[in-house]
Amino acid sequence: MKTEILRTQSIAYSYDDEGRAALRGLSAAFYAGERVAVLGRNGAGKSTFFLCCNGVLRPASGSLLLGGKPVGDKAADRMALRRAVGLVFQDPDSQFIAGSVEADVSFGPMNLRLPEEEVRRRVERAIRRLGLEDLRRRAPHTLSGGEKKRVSIADVLAMEPSLLLLDEPFASLDPENALRLEGILDDLSQAGLGLVVATHDVDFAWRWAQRILVFRDGELRADADPETVFADHGLLAECGLEQPILYRVGKRLGLSPLPRMVEEIPTCETN
Amino acid sequence: MIVTSLLTASVVWCLFYGRLPSPALGALCAALGIVLALLGRHAHGGVLTVDQIALKSRFGAVNAGLKTFGCVALILLASLSRSVLAPSVLFLLMSLLTAAGGVRWHDYLRMLSLPASFLLLSGLALLFEWSAAPSGVLNLRFFGGWLTVTAAAQAKAALVLAKALGAVSCLYFLSLSTPMSGIIRALRRAHVPAVVVELMVLIYRYLFLLLEMHGAMRDAAESRLGYSSFSLSVRTTGNLYANLFVRSFQRANACFDAMESRCYSGEIRFLETEKPVTLPQGLAAAALFLLILAAVLSGGVLPV
Repeated sequence: MKTEILRTQSIAYSYDDEGRAALRGLSAAFYAGERVAVLGRNGAGKSTFFLCCNGVLRPASGSLLLGGKPVGDKAADRMALRRAVGLVFQDPDSQFIAGSVEADVSFGPMNLRLPEEEVRRRVERAIRRLGLEDLRRRAPHTLSGGEKKRVSIADVLAMEPSLLLLDEPFASLDPENALRLEGILDDLSQAGLGLVVATHDVDFAWRWAQRILVFRDGELRADADPETVFADHGLLAECGLEQPILYRVGKRLGLSPLPRMVEEIPTCETN
Repeated sequence: MIVTSLLTASVVWCLFYGRLPSPALGALCAALGIVLALLGRHAHGGVLTVDQIALKSRFGAVNAGLKTFGCVALILLASLSRSVLAPSVLFLLMSLLTAAGGVRWHDYLRMLSLPASFLLLSGLALLFEWSAAPSGVLNLRFFGGWLTVTAAAQAKAALVLAKALGAVSCLYFLSLSTPMSGIIRALRRAHVPAVVVELMVLIYRYLFLLLEMHGAMRDAAESRLGYSSFSLSVRTTGNLYANLFVRSFQRANACFDAMESRCYSGEIRFLETEKPVTLPQGLAAAALFLLILAAVLSGGVLPV
């Protein structure tokens, strides 16, 4: 039985009073340990949705349920929400606040008012999990793109959330760093952390996700397993998506099940 | 840096004019100017942040509270001093100590040149006064009157400059040997209001962000030939600053969101390892405290 962590019930949000709504009655649920990809055009509402799920933005209507209990307007409720649901911003630079990686990672746990020993344990753990041992004394804003991304994940991981939202984590990473990040996501997922990744990379979504949410103009257009989502041509056209390359190859070769990895394609038998 | 070295040379000239033989003074000023200009000339690209230097400092292992107390005490002593000698010696000692912590001389001088140019300009203002007759040690004709430097003004300017340099060197030692998180903790321990500490952290952090952003925008404008003529440069500069304002606003919003999402609730705190105070360090701090007490009790008359 899946443990529900977060559920949104038809939440709506708009950035200005008369303008276009960014979110229009969006309902979704996230469970412990699952891997979810969020797809959709630029401006479809992915980032706004994440900010609402983390309690930074307050939805104009609708409600959030954390572990089945409604999240109220009280500060304590929003703190509990941020504690359970971590958010990694797309631009790491907007997250950095301290002069060294170590101090920056400690910012979150310190805000949770934990005893110092516990903060130290969490900071060490986050630094180890993201391989930042050699960078701990460096200033975060002087690091390379890939390193910055890892620090920004450690920042949130040190707060030990049960669900981690990542807003386009692969944006502007080179292939090597992207691969490394995917490895980190796999490790986190195996450790039982629920992951929700907003991305434009359909190939990544296909090989990695167990479930895919497709956003369109602030609405949830689809919530299904990858096979269902990518089989729906109407949906793909409507949301500006393409079929993943392995999906197309698998279809072309008439494979069943469709290959998620290149290695799953049977090799040609030459006589 | 060139401006600062020229300023230094001329201020030193005015300070010691009439006290040293002219050729010796001329040589001294020229040498000082050249040394400063040469040492400060080597400027490598990128903003070298104070915090980065502090993180590598050899004195990083010393308790931050102790360093803060010591530096505040020395600043107090320097400003209470009635002689030029004590703050000048303090300036030299603190500069040597800062360099011993691992700061390179030209980095130190480059950073010092910022407050120094301000100080030197005020020094010039203190030195010169306008009078109808040539009554001072040094007299320059100026619009039907004289700009004169009197011996009293020389003594006063020398004292003010020495005090200010002594105090600045203490502050530099502190900030170049103690990372931000250590200073924050020490200030919080000293019950400095949280608002002040928060402002300090945020201003310090975003100053460099703003500089970086400005650099990137200027390069982008340059690559589109935004500075190819004078009138164009003026217009580009105006547009750049307008955009910088808007963008720093957006940036501040994004950063605040990110802080909130990490449970920020009005108090910035980082994990900081408490460094133990050793016995000699403690004794030195106590001695310093007694010295200040003596200086204050004697009404600042001590010849220190």
